[in-house]
Amino acid sequence: MGTSRKVERRTILKAAGAGAATLGLAATTGCGGNSGTSADGTVTIRYSWWGADERAKKINQTIKLFEKKYPKIKVKTDFQDYVSFWEKFQTQASGGNPPDVFQNAVTFLRKYDKRSVLLDLRSQIDAGNLSLDNFRAGVTKVGEVDGKQLGVPVGSNTMALVIDKKVFQKAGVEPAAGWTWDDYFKALKTIHDKTKVPGDTGYFSIMYLYDLYLRQNGKAFYTKDGLGFDKADLTEWWQDGYNRTKAGIITDPKIVAQDRPKSSLSAGHGASEFTWDNFTVRYSAEGDSEYGLAPIPTMDGKHTGQYLASLMLSASARTSHPKEVAQFIDFMVHDPEVGKIMGYDRGILASTEQYDAFKPTDTVNKEIAQYETDTAKAGVLGTITPHPSGADTIEAAFLRIGGDLGLGKVKTSDAVKQFFDEAQAAFQA
Amino acid sequence: MTLVKDSPTATRKVRPAAPAAVKRRGRRENLAGYLFMSPWIAGFLLLTAGPMVASLYFAFTDYNLFNTPKWVGLDNFTKMFDDPRWQKSVEVTAKYVIIGTPLKLLLALGVALLLAQSRRGQAFYRAAFYAPSLIGASVSVAFVWRSIFSDNAVVDRTLSVFGIHAGGWVGNPDWILYCLVALTVWQFGAPMVIFLAGLKQVPRELYEAAEMDGAGPFRRFWNITLPMISPVLFFNILLETIHSFQIFGSAYVVSNTYCGPADATLVYTCYLYQQGFKNAQMGFASAMAWMLLLAVALVTAVLFWSQKKWVHYENDTEDAR
Repeated sequence: MGTSRKVERRTILKAAGAGAATLGLAATTGCGGNSGTSADGTVTIRYSWWGADERAKKINQTIKLFEKKYPKIKVKTDFQDYVSFWEKFQTQASGGNPPDVFQNAVTFLRKYDKRSVLLDLRSQIDAGNLSLDNFRAGVTKVGEVDGKQLGVPVGSNTMALVIDKKVFQKAGVEPAAGWTWDDYFKALKTIHDKTKVPGDTGYFSIMYLYDLYLRQNGKAFYTKDGLGFDKADLTEWWQDGYNRTKAGIITDPKIVAQDRPKSSLSAGHGASEFTWDNFTVRYSAEGDSEYGLAPIPTMDGKHTGQYLASLMLSASARTSHPKEVAQFIDFMVHDPEVGKIMGYDRGILASTEQYDAFKPTDTVNKEIAQYETDTAKAGVLGTITPHPSGADTIEAAFLRIGGDLGLGKVKTSDAVKQFFDEAQAAFQA
Repeated sequence: MTLVKDSPTATRKVRPAAPAAVKRRGRRENLAGYLFMSPWIAGFLLLTAGPMVASLYFAFTDYNLFNTPKWVGLDNFTKMFDDPRWQKSVEVTAKYVIIGTPLKLLLALGVALLLAQSRRGQAFYRAAFYAPSLIGASVSVAFVWRSIFSDNAVVDRTLSVFGIHAGGWVGNPDWILYCLVALTVWQFGAPMVIFLAGLKQVPRELYEAAEMDGAGPFRRFWNITLPMISPVLFFNILLETIHSFQIFGSAYVVSNTYCGPADATLVYTCYLYQQGFKNAQMGFASAMAWMLLLAVALVTAVLFWSQKKWVHYENDTEDAR
């Protein structure tokens, strides 16, 4: 009994010790989850983006092509919707574990540059792993911050008015280049009177649209380090928006809240929405109607305030495989086959190789191409508004507070004050 | 099992002359015990205690997740009281707790009283009423909730039959909170089971004696049932109140992550989450977390203080007699 018990105890101690050790091991390996190099020299890189299933399917096809060409590089993928993506990204990046390469937009460039998260791709360009040649005029500028190349564009897009063509036809409204804001709001009223569908889903809480309006008036949403407008400007903008919501020509924000995560345009609760032109692809997949693009209303019959923005690929400054990441980006932005697969899902293809390779056959993609050609021809494209660090938080606050205002739950003056307070906090964060 | 049961005393009896060996063996046994506990201890230290201590420190700093935390003293706490959204979140949470908790407990008690009587199929009813508690906290149910409280969905149509044209609750800032209240009340099964157990403990002879004295059902409930189950009632109130303060998942999902519209479902933890993980104001968010802890502690203290006045423990009365 005595000896057997001793043995037992020793075994138990060992077992317990082994348990503790396993836990320790699990802790070290578990937190890793990192991209690494395996014994045969195969490198794994992590690639994340935001989007829906449609985009994911296309991207996965392009990754297969990449892995075929570079058998020594494996790509691990991950995607969420826009909001969740950036929440997750922020947490990962602050923990020193961001994906090696990821989709990016201009709103986030300065924020993450300030926090030293983004790799300056210049060294990889100089090393010949990544080429900035053969891009359509001016698009690579979007990824530049203070002389650093922090992102490489995959596609260019511009703000546009996406419309439900059937509703517009039914109401007999025909948007025309150079139409004014007065024309536009009259059109919304006509649409509402004739079809009972509100004309717009809530223009006044979209940061990018207000930016265009301000640019038409010689201002902009941002200066290099702050807001480019004052409280009086915003009070007027929001008060008008509120009045129009009450009049019923803008979708009731209660409905907008229920339609989420769908857009109220594709849900059939609004006839038009200001957003990026490439969103037509998404709305066409999401909604039952036909969607098209219309010009941005103007003050003077000409200037829309538009500019070319872009979705980009950026790399993490902490990646242990900068060369492979650069090769990956290079492939994704230049390979003609990738261009054919992606189409205009992330905007008009940015490199000429891809632009030439993809000839849109369906109406939606054709229309996006036509829209950007027309916009460029009209000579209304200006330089992009700078987006200081914090622009992402401010965009969300603008949308939220504008929506609250539409619900009639806050006074315009309080809403404006709240927005300015939150903007200030966001710049400082 | 035997190891634990007989070892210390048994050893002492067999070898009383070797206290050092006993100590050593005791220590070894302790070591084994700690090693067995180590996964839990490690988990507690790494995942609970550590982050708590860290958040206490962050609460007094300006910290955006990337910078080195900068000490700002009580700034985060004073800032809260000037922040209209913080005030709103306190208001929303208080409303949720004050309306939801009593409703849930009343329903739980009521159903428990009905189910306490023996009747056919009672096991089925108990299980059926308990089931929502098991699944109610899941995200999928919150999704279902979101859809049944939307425009032209089940609830809207049912109410319309009765001439109430409220539209969808989900998009309406005046109604959406009640959608969350309904979700928590629906999960009355857990407190119900505890009430049931409490009701079973009430001695039958008390009721018999009262009936002899001519006490009606209400009287019996008020003077016998209620005092006899008051410890259980206290326990349920305490648990459900604390639980309600921590509401997050349902608010987050039902509002489709926005905690709106118009901040109508901006419960405390939701604002905390937004500040911490969306706006990267982790110092402020940490301060909010500690403020919540303080508030819950205060409410708990008040409840404990109040129980002297109304909670009836059988032992006390026996002593008094």
